[in-house]
Amino acid sequence: MKNTDNSDLIVKCLADKFLPLSLVLGLYVILHGNISPGGGFQGGVLVSSAVLLLYLAYGYKGAAATISGKILHKGEAFGAICYIVFAMLGIFYGFNFCRNVLFSRGEIGDIWSSGTIALMNYAVGLKVLTGVGFLLMLVIGLLAADPAEKAPDASEGGELK
Amino acid sequence: MKRTLLVVALLIFMSAGIFSVTYMYKNIPITYDGSNTDVYELAHNPTDYDTSDADGVASIIVKENLDKTRATNNVTAIVFDFRGYDTLGESFILLTAITGALVVLRKSKKRGEGAAKNEEH
Repeated sequence: MKNTDNSDLIVKCLADKFLPLSLVLGLYVILHGNISPGGGFQGGVLVSSAVLLLYLAYGYKGAAATISGKILHKGEAFGAICYIVFAMLGIFYGFNFCRNVLFSRGEIGDIWSSGTIALMNYAVGLKVLTGVGFLLMLVIGLLAADPAEKAPDASEGGELK
Repeated sequence: MKRTLLVVALLIFMSAGIFSVTYMYKNIPITYDGSNTDVYELAHNPTDYDTSDADGVASIIVKENLDKTRATNNVTAIVFDFRGYDTLGESFILLTAITGALVVLRKSKKRGEGAAKNEEH
């Protein structure tokens, strides 16, 4: 773990090169979910791999300085609310839940072509992106906290006794 | 007394299950078994594929997907339109996973936050 905290030049350079690539690829897969293979789930996991790249290059300190867990948490809740709102559009239009009511807008093959399919796809993409990112931040925080905090834990136990 | 009740209830459940299984096996026709679908031809020229005799779900997907959803990705059309309610629960699995991870790693997460604050100060 100490090696990852210190700056390793090769890993840092490679992470700097691959971070924008992974972000662009993941966002592309999310945005084109309704017209090309992929979708919200897959693209969200691709985007959240940026957290791991940041951790490899800059350690937990760099990742925590770049990404805030609160925003990820709120983003996941926002994605869930968006999904439910887009699913309830059917009720507002007078049909059943999860009915695709906007599908006739746009041409076949465009990005904005399939109505609530695209919108729900983006909502699930946001939800998976932030959720998996938060999960990875949790695990990384556990990895980073363990070796540094062993001594204070022992001292606390000593104080109690 | 309790045991006899339990045995009677289990026998009723078992007889109902056997009856429903035999009924489904005898009376309900098979909707889709994939026997009439030529997968190779369907993948290579989906517009020219003869869908007049295709069976069940395959014919619905091939014939009516573009008219119904206007999404060229069939998988996304099914996951987010025909089975949208299923996807809702599926995406809430992630929320449950995060909740479980928070419960298990809560102490460790506090340690991590404390470490981050100490480093910031």
